[in-house]
Amino acid sequence: MSNPLDWFGRREALLAVACLAAVLLFSFLSPYFFNAENLSAVLSNSVELLLVGLGMTLLLGVGGIDVSVGVAMGLAAIAVGRLLQAGVTPAVAGLAGPVAGLLIGVGTGSVVVFGRIPAIVATLGLYGVYRAGIYLCLGGDWLSGLPIGLTELVGTGIAGVPLAFPIVALTYLALYVALRRTPFGPHLLAIGDSEAKARLSGVSVNRTQLLAFIISGGLTGLAASFYVATYRNVEMTIGGTLALEAIAAVVLGGTSVIGGRVSLIGTVLGVLLLRLLQNGLLLSGVPSLWQTVVTGLLLLFVLGIEAVQGRLSLTMLMRSKSGRLASRVAQ
Amino acid sequence: MTRPLIEARDISKRFGALQALADVDLDIREGEVLALVGDNGAGKSTLVKILSGAHAPSGGDLVMDGKPVEFASPQDSAAAGIATIFQELALSENLSIAENVFLGRELTQRVLGIPFLRHKAMKRRVGELLKELDAHISDPEVPVGSLSGGQRQAVAISRALNLNARLVIMDEPTAALAVAETRKVLQLIRNLADSGRAVILVSHNMHDVFEVGDRIAVFRRGRKIADKMRTETTPEEIVSFITGAHPDVRALEMQS
Ligand SMILES: Nc1ncnc2c1ncn2[C@@H]1O[C@H](COP(=O)(O)OP(=O)(O)OP(=O)(O)O)[C@@H](O)[C@H]1O
Ligand SMILES: [Mg+2]
Repeated sequence: MSNPLDWFGRREALLAVACLAAVLLFSFLSPYFFNAENLSAVLSNSVELLLVGLGMTLLLGVGGIDVSVGVAMGLAAIAVGRLLQAGVTPAVAGLAGPVAGLLIGVGTGSVVVFGRIPAIVATLGLYGVYRAGIYLCLGGDWLSGLPIGLTELVGTGIAGVPLAFPIVALTYLALYVALRRTPFGPHLLAIGDSEAKARLSGVSVNRTQLLAFIISGGLTGLAASFYVATYRNVEMTIGGTLALEAIAAVVLGGTSVIGGRVSLIGTVLGVLLLRLLQNGLLLSGVPSLWQTVVTGLLLLFVLGIEAVQGRLSLTMLMRSKSGRLASRVAQ
Repeated sequence: MTRPLIEARDISKRFGALQALADVDLDIREGEVLALVGDNGAGKSTLVKILSGAHAPSGGDLVMDGKPVEFASPQDSAAAGIATIFQELALSENLSIAENVFLGRELTQRVLGIPFLRHKAMKRRVGELLKELDAHISDPEVPVGSLSGGQRQAVAISRALNLNARLVIMDEPTAALAVAETRKVLQLIRNLADSGRAVILVSHNMHDVFEVGDRIAVFRRGRKIADKMRTETTPEEIVSFITGAHPDVRALEMQS
């Protein structure tokens, strides 16, 4: 864990190189790609995915997953939008995002942890529930043309720096500290490795898992505030591909899809690579439909590699077991 | 003789239709290595898991220091001074040695309500423990996944020592070990008992059992069928109890 290579290992180095390669390639393919305006657009388009992805990093790390993050963001975005419409101060409306997200995180986490339902199944069910919630709230309509207050607040930020920068940086720092400097980190990784073993060691499994869902919920709600600030509308289909993108970026970043290993910096680089590819392909004239194809293919590619590695470790496991059997028979 | 540290009385455990333990009485004494032996599936690990709070018994009582106790969770059992090294070892391969030794009871220091890990203190303590065990591991920060079987056992024992346990339970600690590592672990077991702790050793290896065991309890199909001081029995007799060839066992099984 304290090995610096763990923090910035081979996977992270590879991703950084891939980002640079993507920048080079697309600069070559499109005259509109390499300029300050476009690159900063890529960055600002990454904010929501980054926040959601950091939460997803914890969830995958603890052996969970949440496929409902997109619709959860939608619900939180509706809360923010409605408050803006009602003329609430932008700062308060902006805070409503993370608060709504935290509440949704408590709900989702409780269903998974106390309902003892596998996270993938539970959150798939909740996806349907939350989706229906969005429909009920919006009644088939869009929230559009929302007041510009939140947009100005977020855009102007502190001393001219858009608010996204300090917020993303603080989020990253807080998660880093939580994982490295508090028991939450080893507990999360131990549970992701083996829930049963962690429980035997006296780790409070439920509390740790619930905490991961709550943090992820809060970050998803934060993403909702940024979403509303950026687009000033909330459409029925909001967050449709967000879960797929987040899982793809996180797994790409080296966090294990079955838990026990996390990389925050990997998630940052995974999100960046994904957004660079999507932007670059679009500017190179590839139809936008292909964006999801690229995301899906990247996810399958990484999972394919993981599967191969998984199979390797499975044979190792079997070897040690039969070795043990042999020693017992020999006695 | 002094009062036992723990008395198990009439303990039974069912898994659905399967009677894994039936009416087991057992005394566990401080300063004594108690060896539990028996065929595969005899119920040894089940008893260990009841003592360590991982399973609740279906019937019977545990008495500790003369008072009835109930362990609802591994934390309860650990808090009572029982440290268990499970057959499956329960170490997290992806965590470091130090993290494993302290997993679930990390040393922390609260700043603004946030429990910050005291990395240095934990590392120092684990270094001391490993040195005491003569485990030949120099860096408490390496992941457990990279260690040998004996080194892992040493890490698991460090966990027990760190808890300052009164009872240390080891379920087949030498099953996966080479000869030299087995010797070292047996020595550790002896040291634990000589320092006044109670030790339970589950093993299939008669040599190990007779080398460090002070008392030997034999399990068969969920029942305790023999409980003998080492000095009053022989490996041959114990084996005949395990296999059921012993006349006492035959008589017992004819009855039921
Ligand atoms: N969690 C469980 N659920 C159902 N049955 C179980 C469970 N744990 C153990 N058993 C059963 O209880 C019986 C006793 O098992 P136990 O693990 O205590 O045996 P053991 O003496 O430790 O054997 P071994 O020497 O193979 O480790 C076995 O038949 C086993 O299959
Ligand atoms: Mg066993």
